[in-house]
Amino acid sequence: MKLSTNWLKEIAPGIKIDNKLIESLTSLGLEVSSVSKTKKDTIIDLDITPNRPDCLSVYGVARDLFSIYGKTIKLPKQKKIAIKKSQLPLAKINNIISPIYSCLTIENIDNKVKTPQYIKRRLNDYGIASNNIIVDVLNYVMIEIGQPMHAFDSDKVNGKLSVRFGKKNETFHALDGQKYLLNNNIPVVVDSNRVQAIAGVIGGEDSSVQINTKNIIIECAYFNPEFVRLASKKYRLQTDASYRFERGVDPLMHSFAITRVLSLLSEHTTLHKANYFQKENKLKINNKIKINIEQFEKILGQQIPKTKIIQILKRLNFHPAIFKNFITVIVPSYRFDIENEYDLIEELARVVGYDYFKPITLPATTSIDIGNNDFLEKYLSFFIVRGYHETVSFSFLPKNSQNSFMQSSNIITIKNPISEDKSELRTSLIHSLIKTYKYNFSRQIHDIKIFETGKIYTNHKSNPMNEVNTISGLISGKNYDSNLKVDTKNISFFDLKGDLSSIFPDLKFVPSSKIKTLNNSCQALIFQNKKYIGYCGEISNEVYRENSIKNNVYIFELFADDIVMKSSIIYKKISLFPRVKRDLTILVDDNIAGRDIIDIIERESFKYMINIKINDIFYNTKEFGEDIKSVSIEFCFQDANGTLTDNIVNKQMDLIFHHLAKCFKAKLRK
Amino acid sequence: MQKKYSLLISTLKDNLAECDSLNKLALIKSQYLGKQGKLTLEFGGIKDSKLSERKELGQVLNNIKIQINSLIDKKSESLANTNKKGQLNFFDVTLPGRNISSGSRHPISITINTITKILNNYGFTSVSGPEIEDEFYNFEALNIPASHPARDMHDTFYVTDNKLLRTHTSSVQIHTMLTNKPPLRIMTPGKVYRRDSDPTHSPMFHQIEGLCIDKDINFCQLKGLLINFIEQFFSKKMEIRFRPSYFPFTEPSAEIDIKFNNKWLEVLGCGIVHPNVLKNVKINHKQYTGFAFGLGIERLAMLKYGITDLRIFYDNDISFLSQFSVLK
Repeated sequence: MKLSTNWLKEIAPGIKIDNKLIESLTSLGLEVSSVSKTKKDTIIDLDITPNRPDCLSVYGVARDLFSIYGKTIKLPKQKKIAIKKSQLPLAKINNIISPIYSCLTIENIDNKVKTPQYIKRRLNDYGIASNNIIVDVLNYVMIEIGQPMHAFDSDKVNGKLSVRFGKKNETFHALDGQKYLLNNNIPVVVDSNRVQAIAGVIGGEDSSVQINTKNIIIECAYFNPEFVRLASKKYRLQTDASYRFERGVDPLMHSFAITRVLSLLSEHTTLHKANYFQKENKLKINNKIKINIEQFEKILGQQIPKTKIIQILKRLNFHPAIFKNFITVIVPSYRFDIENEYDLIEELARVVGYDYFKPITLPATTSIDIGNNDFLEKYLSFFIVRGYHETVSFSFLPKNSQNSFMQSSNIITIKNPISEDKSELRTSLIHSLIKTYKYNFSRQIHDIKIFETGKIYTNHKSNPMNEVNTISGLISGKNYDSNLKVDTKNISFFDLKGDLSSIFPDLKFVPSSKIKTLNNSCQALIFQNKKYIGYCGEISNEVYRENSIKNNVYIFELFADDIVMKSSIIYKKISLFPRVKRDLTILVDDNIAGRDIIDIIERESFKYMINIKINDIFYNTKEFGEDIKSVSIEFCFQDANGTLTDNIVNKQMDLIFHHLAKCFKAKLRK
Repeated sequence: MQKKYSLLISTLKDNLAECDSLNKLALIKSQYLGKQGKLTLEFGGIKDSKLSERKELGQVLNNIKIQINSLIDKKSESLANTNKKGQLNFFDVTLPGRNISSGSRHPISITINTITKILNNYGFTSVSGPEIEDEFYNFEALNIPASHPARDMHDTFYVTDNKLLRTHTSSVQIHTMLTNKPPLRIMTPGKVYRRDSDPTHSPMFHQIEGLCIDKDINFCQLKGLLINFIEQFFSKKMEIRFRPSYFPFTEPSAEIDIKFNNKWLEVLGCGIVHPNVLKNVKINHKQYTGFAFGLGIERLAMLKYGITDLRIFYDNDISFLSQFSVLK
């Protein structure tokens, strides 16, 4: 809210416009976002939090400052007028929508008079354009004391006004030129023919006050915040009035507001008969709260002297009454935010100032560790050591971007997306990684290793709104920095596999062609202890094409919650006797996987064999024939209790070869 | 006798001084230590000397041999390290090491890790929760009913009529308090979503919240913890200001500003847990009190690293990311 300091000084003459004022506003919780100077005024821009509608006026701010300054507040000039109770020129007022409703009727007013400069200037500084004197005065009083009001041209109103809920299919032409379709949740003001206003939000086009308007009805009401908010939300229509009504407007300001309007109008224009009506109050106000004085220290951690507490509560208009250790207060009608003891504690704390409270150490805890969030965190640094950059991307993807590999019923879409390119939740991190790849590639970075952690989201009948923690990565380009004395190669599947195998224990890669985003002939499902934990491979031709990618790109995706990291190790005694290495080169069918060869040997647990690995794969159609490959395997033997002799090792090698011959029809390569 | 040998050494020194190649050095070596070498011949002479002197002579000759070897080795080393002009060979240690490409953590992760490390020292442990939430966990249990204007502070993405993307990590507090008994000390880093997009707002960003529930928790402790936290995070004394603010789930509520370049900047929101929140999760608010605080990760990262454009975090430009390769 833009606060004119000249205006503030009119109401609170005892307050100086200085740094102390700025500090006091901030320490009261009325945050100063900027201070600017105009020709004749200094304007303070306040960020008023939603709980403090009572400070959405010059008077309201002055009233809150009183709690610190204790300097008298002068109410602006009013014109006395007799109130006629319960004789409204109105038909029926719905008590739920408007428990208190007042109005002022004025006859034969001259609306052609120019609005005085100071009013125009203050409206302008606040951010409201000047219109005509009636509308300007209503806005002026709203800024001054916080009561929004609306004027109807009574010559355009048919019969009496009523307040009720809208009807289905009822329409309303508002003064913003828009047509609104109503329903039975929308509070409206109607005449005998049509809707004349959405209560507390906006008036109608027909009955709006124009320059030649002669007779008016000024509505001054309390509208139920909930319904005003509903209407304002539904039509995405926030007015200065609705902003205040939906937060809460002091229900006891009506006579003050109306007499103030009358005073200003009669000061600056001519008018004849004025009548003021008020409907009986049906709103429960002035709640009482009782608080044990010890509560203040218990919650705040530091004592505030009792006399100070009482002084502050008095200045805040809480009318404190003390009985033994208890204080009972009456909540002022404008403080909708005060409901319980905690609210009072905050009132005390903010007026004393948060600086009053000395920081102290938080005692050690007896709480138990229920953490569940940092399981994989420590392993991610291995990716860094292996040259990967971590990325963070949006969880949103463009509309229909996942249809080629995911059924649309399994994709979670945003009902109110910010834009079409952010309208689906990702079902895989691959898209994000490819986007990052392309972004960097177009900036001449071609050797790329990246990974990302984050959730993927899917919707299945058996598992609706499912979130899975995922780690995915992408590599492309050269496997090393091109450098002296190192031959760089293009990255291959095995660079990716090597990285994963070195970081996560016991991975098993099983040939696959199931993953649609991956190349059919270069992809693997990844298992750990027989559990499926993800996949990896080269991206599919379709992905290459769609993204116009020229270099080879390999990706992996792992479901983080399914990964098991070794948590304990039991030491095995190491042998002091020498190791013996042997090589075996066999010819087998090309479609026998290397892993199968290793598995079948490991499963037999040949004696003394402590290690086995495949060293080389070699093809030579002329020599071996079609679809036959040569596989070189390196074995390592060691005995825990003695030195192995050639004889013993040779015997084991024979057994191994015969086993391979039996299982795979392997032949010895000569 | 000694004289004779010292002459041998000094002639050797002269020879070595003139020697300018490893080939010549090999020749010199054989002249002294080879089969017909000068010293070898001296060793041969031992058997002709007196029995009583043989032992001493052997020792002397052995010492001489050691000396000669050492002189020749030294010369050999110096020849290997110098070029023809007698200058030291140039070994270029400034060339790059092999396979140096090192990756990097994202500054958002680095910031989260820095924060969780500090808070962990105060007994807070890291807890996560769902990003797709019910209105109950994201709003109602946190004392933000549907009609409340505070919902305007959270422009929300919906995925169905009643499922939404969490607008803050405070929802994790509710999950945690419903399933665990106090005392509790948790922190909840994670992604949050708001329907907001401009240079200073992103539809997705990161938050971390802390929650402490125990007997006799108060505002002074909250101040103490957060001042320590901020100073540890920025590794220096900071000018810090607490001012009243408003969050529906805390009462009293405070916003913390720190002074940066002579301007107050908002970094953190906090407060005493509102009794309604404790009621909603069935914790006795007469017996237990608590505090909660929440902060935006990107904002702290921007302040710490001097980043001015929020969007750079999500571009993932490797030229940007690799600047953080030294941090873990």
